[in-house]
Amino acid sequence: MDDRTHSWLRPLVAVFVGAVFFLPLYLVVVNVFKPGADIVPHPAGLPLPPTLDNISAVLSRPDNLFTFGLINSIAVTALSITILTVLSAMLGHYLARSKRVLAKVAMVTLLCGLMIPVPVILEPITGVLKTLGLMTSLQGLVLVNVGYYVPFGVLLFMGFVRSVPLELEEAAELDGASKLRVFWQVVFPLLRPASASVLIFLGVWIWNDFLTPLILLGPDSGTTVTVGVYRAIGQHQSDFGAVFAFMFLATLPILVFYLALQKNFVKGLTGGAVKG
Amino acid sequence: MTEIQHGTRGEVDPAAPRQSPSHGGSRQRGAAIRRRASARIWPKLGRFGLFALPGLVAYVVFVLIPIGMTGYYSFTNRNPFNPPTKWVGLRNYGDLLGDQEFRQALVNTVIIAVIVTVFANVGGLLIAMLLDRPTKLYVALRGIFFTPVVLSAVVISVIWQAVLTDDGLLNSLLRGLGVDHPPGWLSDPDLALYSIAWIITWQMLGFCVVVYLAGLQGVPRELQEAASIDGAGRLARFRNVTWPMLAPALTINTVMLLITGFKAYDQIQVITNGGPGTGTTSTMAFQVVQTAFNGNHIGYSSAMAAVMLVLVATVSVIVLRLLQRREVTQ
Repeated sequence: MDDRTHSWLRPLVAVFVGAVFFLPLYLVVVNVFKPGADIVPHPAGLPLPPTLDNISAVLSRPDNLFTFGLINSIAVTALSITILTVLSAMLGHYLARSKRVLAKVAMVTLLCGLMIPVPVILEPITGVLKTLGLMTSLQGLVLVNVGYYVPFGVLLFMGFVRSVPLELEEAAELDGASKLRVFWQVVFPLLRPASASVLIFLGVWIWNDFLTPLILLGPDSGTTVTVGVYRAIGQHQSDFGAVFAFMFLATLPILVFYLALQKNFVKGLTGGAVKG
Repeated sequence: MTEIQHGTRGEVDPAAPRQSPSHGGSRQRGAAIRRRASARIWPKLGRFGLFALPGLVAYVVFVLIPIGMTGYYSFTNRNPFNPPTKWVGLRNYGDLLGDQEFRQALVNTVIIAVIVTVFANVGGLLIAMLLDRPTKLYVALRGIFFTPVVLSAVVISVIWQAVLTDDGLLNSLLRGLGVDHPPGWLSDPDLALYSIAWIITWQMLGFCVVVYLAGLQGVPRELQEAASIDGAGRLARFRNVTWPMLAPALTINTVMLLITGFKAYDQIQVITNGGPGTGTTSTMAFQVVQTAFNGNHIGYSSAMAAVMLVLVATVSVIVLRLLQRREVTQ
């Protein structure tokens, strides 16, 4: 009823609120393609004609802060989320199916891990990595990511495993398949929606991580693009064009990754939300 | 059949000599042979070792052991540049009680957590109700609100710094509108903390919108119509039909926002570095990291970290329990 009398009001309000909300992001996108001298006098103007100078300046930095950061970020994120998906799927499946007391204890301990903020454990983690000889290495960062995010993966997979009928697994075992084969060929493919959620959630989180790579990779051995943004603002505080272009390029890969898998992301998110 | 299975399990997995009968079900001899084959690759570890151990080891090594170390260090005077490490009992915790900077960081953290939780929840719900229509326009707008959730807090911080800094974009706009002395959003010690809280709220808003939209789409249309026929107005329909159905979404959002607010770090490190002045925007996470990595007072920073962990865990669990009880009773 109200909708019919004010049919013009809702879209108007929605577009206005959306535009105000989006304004800060708009400012970044337009200023990436504007010559540096035009940004301060005309921050909100459209970049006409657009220039790629800021982008090419970031790509051709003499210290390669962006290029090396990009390679590191891709390597760390890809490795971490691949290992995490496999390990937490197996662990989640094991814990959801096992009736042993030990499994229940492990489950509760893992769930507690969901609440632990990184700063609480970061200094001892550097100690563990030094003991293992992995401090300031990408492998060390990947392993820490795996340990820290495994509870989240397990939580998502455990909920999902319960929806896979046990009879399917029993039938496969009856046909003579090994445990490992049952998991890989029967269970894991059925967990695909959960795998997609884990990949996207953790991909976004790990790509965007700031404190962990900042400390664990240290100042000397190259870093990720997200930490690179922080380093870049330290160097050219006032050169908005350069900083915005760096941020734009650092965000583009994860934005593309997210958009490519977006449908699953929202589904995974809301699936959990509705179930509560 | 079950005997065979028990037999093999006993060999393969010493940690689990028995298994509940309902779990394994009936198996063929072939399966037992296969199992023996895989047992050769993973001798003596079996199912637990193959499926559970790798993930658990990573968790134990990089989360549980470090937590234990934080707990232990908090009772010592550990400082890698000032050995030897000695046991000091509760002295670090005693020092924390009188530490003005830590107290301010704690208060700041609570303020941020409360602001973020309240405003992102309210704003998220309002925007979700505004966008709860299936046409293309509203679907596109949902994407706009969700974008910041995918961006890193560092990027968001740099964007808002450009907007809120003294001669930044917002103040240029205000001056253009005739405001002579616009506020120093990030340089005024009384305002900076609220600006930080606003930035986190802005970033988390889209998350709440998506969760509330999912909740709204779960409200059956018939219920709304039935209430409408019974003469319920818009407000009454919302209070008695929609709002109770949104209880699980409220739980998810509130817990998520509380945890996000409590661990606020990136925005402070990137934008204010704890200032302006001393510690006006410092948070517990920021204080812990500064004390550990700039001051190298590991013993003291560990005591802070322990307090922070207990606080986050207690508040999250209590709020979760309260909200979940509410879900059940409704």
